[in-house]
Amino acid sequence: MLSEARLNQMRHFGRMAWREPFSRRTWHELGFFAVSTMLTAVGFDFIAITMGLGVALTVTFIGLVLVAASLRGARGLGRFHRVLARNLIDEIIEEPIPFSARAGFFGWLQSALRDRVGWRSVAYCVIKVPLSVFGVWFAFSVWVDAFFCLTYPLWGGGAARPQGFGVVVNLFAPGFLSVQSSGFIHGLFIFLSGGLLLLLAPWPMRGVVFADRRLMRALLGPDPVTARVRSLEVARAQTVDASAATLRRIERDLHDGTQAQLVALAMRLGQAKEKLNEPGELDIDEVRRLVNDAHGGAKEAIVELRDLARGIHPPVLDTGLEGALSTLAARSTVPVELTVSLEERPTHAIEAIAYFCVAELLANVAQHANASRASVRCTQHGKWLRVVVRDDGSGGAQPALVGSASSGLRGLIDRVQSVDGTLEINSPSGGPTIMTIDLPLHA
Amino acid sequence: MGDTIRVAVAEDSAILRDGLVQLLADRGFEITAAVSDPDGLRESIEKDLPDVAVVDIRMPPTFTDEGLRAAIELRRLHPTLGILLFSQYIETRYAAELLADDAAGIGYLLKDRVADVSDFVEALVRVASGGTALDPEVVTQLLGASRKIDSLSGMSAREREVLSLMAEGRSNAAIATTLVFSEGAVEKHVTNIFTKLDLPVSQSDHRRVLAVLRFLDS
Repeated sequence: MLSEARLNQMRHFGRMAWREPFSRRTWHELGFFAVSTMLTAVGFDFIAITMGLGVALTVTFIGLVLVAASLRGARGLGRFHRVLARNLIDEIIEEPIPFSARAGFFGWLQSALRDRVGWRSVAYCVIKVPLSVFGVWFAFSVWVDAFFCLTYPLWGGGAARPQGFGVVVNLFAPGFLSVQSSGFIHGLFIFLSGGLLLLLAPWPMRGVVFADRRLMRALLGPDPVTARVRSLEVARAQTVDASAATLRRIERDLHDGTQAQLVALAMRLGQAKEKLNEPGELDIDEVRRLVNDAHGGAKEAIVELRDLARGIHPPVLDTGLEGALSTLAARSTVPVELTVSLEERPTHAIEAIAYFCVAELLANVAQHANASRASVRCTQHGKWLRVVVRDDGSGGAQPALVGSASSGLRGLIDRVQSVDGTLEINSPSGGPTIMTIDLPLHA
Repeated sequence: MGDTIRVAVAEDSAILRDGLVQLLADRGFEITAAVSDPDGLRESIEKDLPDVAVVDIRMPPTFTDEGLRAAIELRRLHPTLGILLFSQYIETRYAAELLADDAAGIGYLLKDRVADVSDFVEALVRVASGGTALDPEVVTQLLGASRKIDSLSGMSAREREVLSLMAEGRSNAAIATTLVFSEGAVEKHVTNIFTKLDLPVSQSDHRRVLAVLRFLDS
């Protein structure tokens, strides 16, 4: 006895098998295969001729130019394949990095010859040839057979019948189509075979297209090395931006804070000095007030300068992460439980990033979280440093757009990513919030 | 100008604004407004036109050069209004923009200059009464960057000193006091300088500032 579930499953497959020859996906795959096979035929000829001639003429300069032209052409073929794949089979292959030539003809030549994308496209076009041949023989032929079998009654096995193509049919039943017979039973049998072939036809094609999808993903998208280079470039740009932003912030702090304080201080002392030098009776109260103000201003300027310097690089960080974090924990308005267990000391840059992350996160806890307790755990996992900051507050933290309250979080993520680290935010609405930062020990 | 000089102050740092207001009041100026941004300045000037406005270059909202923009605009609306720009840095480009049309009633000083209260007050009075007050730093930078090295190197050290003071906007009398010369000696130097630079001698102080600056900048 078949179980109900099993029966349902079989019905499902049955329906699918029945519908598949008429589905959009099937026909799009067939169309893709047909167009891309023609494109491969043309593309391979182009590459074979230009590369062949180019290599043959390598000793002369023309050879190199031909090879370069071939690579540029292959890039174009790759782009064409990507467009086809996107429009016909919904396979979205990321664009590789655009070709950028250095200045001058020789710059172009050198850039073209070193273009990884071009070489990978050549590889695709070459590997695609056997795949296409196999696809025509194994998958496309089923469609052709199905077509001829289904239309057999129309041409009735007459003189116009095709002889050579029905690969599958001829393979399994040689001479099947060419049997001279006009019997009704024979015709019906061939027609029903055609129906069966039609039901089967989508699947080999799907397999071939699947292989092509893998091939395109591997060779026509951005290659891993380039992708790595690109992610490093992004990280570097973020770092550069972040340090420029930091410098701007420091300048602003200096300009609006300390510098203004000192100007005001000098102004008061200047006034006092002139009062002391004035002929006539000395207004000692006025001078006393000015000096008092100046003295107060000087002390404020010192405090501001100290805070600013500590914001740039906290001196306590020089003694190690544990000491620095315990200072932070002690300064926090929310009670913080701190655990640090590290076997080796991370590099200074990593320590600084960990420190500023914890500082920012604890400041967030104090400002936004309505938390009564927080904890900071610093542990080592192999070559990685893990910092977990946790609070029992109201949660809902997320990196927002620049300028909003939590743009600080965005900044932290950039900072952490600049050394290939990660910052994981787990902050459901209602809390608790758990922030997990993983940093390499040595950057 | 026999009456009290009326001053508007636009400065976003509260410490400096209060300090300035207090200093100017102490020196007998009348403060018509003390505001912290360009919009406040425009409004207060529409309401009550002062003789001179002391304007910080970097103010909200963008903290770049809105003070300068506001000053240029206000000058177009009120040609008699003196403008003393006030900044923690000297940018010669700002000076050039500010002096594009006219040097009368224009000043550009480093904020540090308030430490020497009398000099600052003197500069403010000069600007309020249609003169010019350029920071020595501006003049130094212009002299340093000038391509007219040939003409400049033909001058004596004394003449260069006089040239600098003249470019700052000082009168012959003031130059004479600063350098401890007689006014006649200053006049002789000035004539020599103008001859060496091949410039026509101007009578008013602010015209000759402009002439010298144009010469240095061209």
